[in-house]
Amino acid sequence: MTQSFARKLLLLLASVAALVLILGSVTTALGRAGAEYQAASQPPGGQPVTSDSQAGEKLDAQKAAQDRAKPYEEAEYRTFPVVGSRVAIWAVAQLHLSFAAFVLAVPIFAFIVEVIGYKTGDLRYDRLAYEFTKLLSVSFSLTATFGAFLTFMLIILYPKFTNYLMSVFSPTFLPYVLLFFFEAFFLYTYYYGWGKFHPLVHLGLGLGLNLVGTGIMLIANSWLTFMMSPRGVSDTGAVLSVREAVFNATWMPINIHRIIANVAFGGSIAAAYAAFKFLQAETDEERAHYDWMGYIGNFVAISAFLPLPFAGYWLAKEIYAFSQTLGLTMMGGAFSWLFIIQAVLIGNLFLAANYYLWLGMGRVDGPQPLQKFIKYLLFGITLCFMVWATPRSIIATVSEVRAMGGSSHPILGYLGVMSAKNTAVNILILTTFMSFLLYRRTGKIASVTWAKTGHAAQLAIFAAAAVIVIFLGIYGYFVEATVRIKLSVPQVLSVLFAMIAITVIDIFLFRRAQKTGEVRWGRIPRISQYVLIFIAVTFTWLMGLMGYVRSGLRQHWHVYGVIRDRSADAFTPTLGFATKVVSVTVLLFFMLIGVVFWISSLHDRPDFKRKTRVGDDSSPDYALPHSHAPRPTKS
Amino acid sequence: MRIPLILRIGALVLATTGFYTYVGQMVPQKEVQPPRETNLSGNVSTSDMAQIGRSIMEGKGLCLTCHTIGKTGALRFPDLAGVGARAKTRVPGLNDVEYFAQSLYEPTAFVVPGFPPAMPPINKPPIGLTDQEILCVIAYLQSLGGTSTVTLQTKHHYNSGATAAPAPPAAAAPPTGTPK
Repeated sequence: MTQSFARKLLLLLASVAALVLILGSVTTALGRAGAEYQAASQPPGGQPVTSDSQAGEKLDAQKAAQDRAKPYEEAEYRTFPVVGSRVAIWAVAQLHLSFAAFVLAVPIFAFIVEVIGYKTGDLRYDRLAYEFTKLLSVSFSLTATFGAFLTFMLIILYPKFTNYLMSVFSPTFLPYVLLFFFEAFFLYTYYYGWGKFHPLVHLGLGLGLNLVGTGIMLIANSWLTFMMSPRGVSDTGAVLSVREAVFNATWMPINIHRIIANVAFGGSIAAAYAAFKFLQAETDEERAHYDWMGYIGNFVAISAFLPLPFAGYWLAKEIYAFSQTLGLTMMGGAFSWLFIIQAVLIGNLFLAANYYLWLGMGRVDGPQPLQKFIKYLLFGITLCFMVWATPRSIIATVSEVRAMGGSSHPILGYLGVMSAKNTAVNILILTTFMSFLLYRRTGKIASVTWAKTGHAAQLAIFAAAAVIVIFLGIYGYFVEATVRIKLSVPQVLSVLFAMIAITVIDIFLFRRAQKTGEVRWGRIPRISQYVLIFIAVTFTWLMGLMGYVRSGLRQHWHVYGVIRDRSADAFTPTLGFATKVVSVTVLLFFMLIGVVFWISSLHDRPDFKRKTRVGDDSSPDYALPHSHAPRPTKS
Repeated sequence: MRIPLILRIGALVLATTGFYTYVGQMVPQKEVQPPRETNLSGNVSTSDMAQIGRSIMEGKGLCLTCHTIGKTGALRFPDLAGVGARAKTRVPGLNDVEYFAQSLYEPTAFVVPGFPPAMPPINKPPIGLTDQEILCVIAYLQSLGGTSTVTLQTKHHYNSGATAAPAPPAAAAPPTGTPK
């Protein structure tokens, strides 16, 4: 297949896709309009329409008179064709949130990377930060488009409920719009102003972008958390205090959880972009750059991912504190099996993240004695994964249930409770942290005088944290519920303490370390890049799934316990159905993010020049007078 | 033939989402319908009320999401086996009907020692059982280790009938963090 043929094919496909999109939009719009017109023109009382033209005219006149006399009625719900209102809103909301998460996360680490570049004077960081930011411009437009789409869909499909939410939160809308305006200002000046301002001014723009973006998220979070844990309204929904409605029970836990999760998600998507570019790269220099970019993106993602379960604990604790019924619906009711699917996803994330780190050890020249520990780490991760994915009750036949003496397995059933799962996830986090430490140490030997003591102290802290986590996990089986639920706090704190203490020791331990081999960026198996893409897909899918549980938890309530959902979609669908919707949305997201990557890469393309005839050395008069540099550099 | 990069990445994305969708089909599939109010006419017998009460506890009432019947070991909430007998003497001054009514309408008034004050008032949203539905639940609870006595006409402190005042809280945990 020649390049020219491929281009023509692409052009044809793009034209067909554009035509299908336009036709689809027009057909949907006409269908909607037609359905409403038909509904309005039905003969009253189901009377048959006679063929007699006079009778028909009379009926039409009667109908028209009735229509004119009809009082205005606000529709409570409208139906979206084919997939229904809920699925339509669900898909658009998930797409909006995925792009919003990316747009909010990338400036955070672009800003941090730029600060590092400014402080160290290393232009590689500056280029990296710019490369991250390049992805923002198109994503921002898509976020805004899906945001507007979601708003219109809510107004069309759930008019009464949307009206109610607007009446509760009306004071927050103007600040939201203003912040959005500032977001656009900061984003575009940050992107287009790269290298055009003094570095500190540019960093100020980055900081402004982050602050404004976070502000937008905090306002939007108040709307959705109010639906889950309403406060500041009477039992019938009358507004008592907008302030309380904003600062409801789950608002701050969601804010923290989302900021961390957004960074993890954004890092993984940026790493996927780097992986895509690495696989496309034709020179060693390009490979080295994109390998490094992928590593940084993944490092950001995993660093944010490790504390995420702790933020999740806090959110779950607040949900329980707000309503035990809501908490138990989540963990013990209709959604309990969803957490087994979540375990599979998180287990895969941990496995993939560790695998990438282990592959990365090959970048370093010379012998790698630390690689011998990988098999033990893999064993630990697999064991924890298996414990976490063990359900409390097992799907079994009647005879199997009889043989087991209940739906829980007599032995494995013990692994299905929270004591075992909390222990498994904490050990998983510790093991992944250990993998990162091993990777960090590859090609280095600590040369400080207290190296031996430092290593011993790190090992002791690690072992102590592991012992505490396992001991409390086992202890949980022998105490009352009121004591047991509090044991996760010391488990989490011991892991956090271990990670912080070991990192601090490590920084001093490997200061001026002796190098045994150079890091060769770009020297990594190609499969590592597919691992990065796998991590990004898994993160996106996980976000979709957890978004579903957060929203679906309300079951047949628009606002939990206050405004009931009386639509045809008020039921809670099966998990199988939910996973299908999540998957379709994830696929749509990746198709769109592929477009974002493609548009972003146009910047680096050489300018178009028409082929000249042989012997004709005159330049075409319409050629652009300049050629784009790969990136602007700061003076 | 070398497969184009975009196709390889597309296949990976498709395979990954396909795998997670498959996992989603492997777990139990249950569609949960919004609860419906139980239609009760005046001539429902006490034993029928107990049966209806059992189904309300399994469904609309969400009771068995937390409570167990006939289970021992480390429990998160009180097991209900034999509660029909225990209820008669659990709180001094309250008979079994009044005790059950108090537990359902005002659950933090008395909390069984060793358990958290976590039960929501059952007559209010999000559960929102009607007075008659609650009487059916009481009929079923009485049958667990005792005999059902209530009828749809039974009055207690919370359905504006009897004047029996609930006893002061005994061994009750502070009502902090009480759900709505």
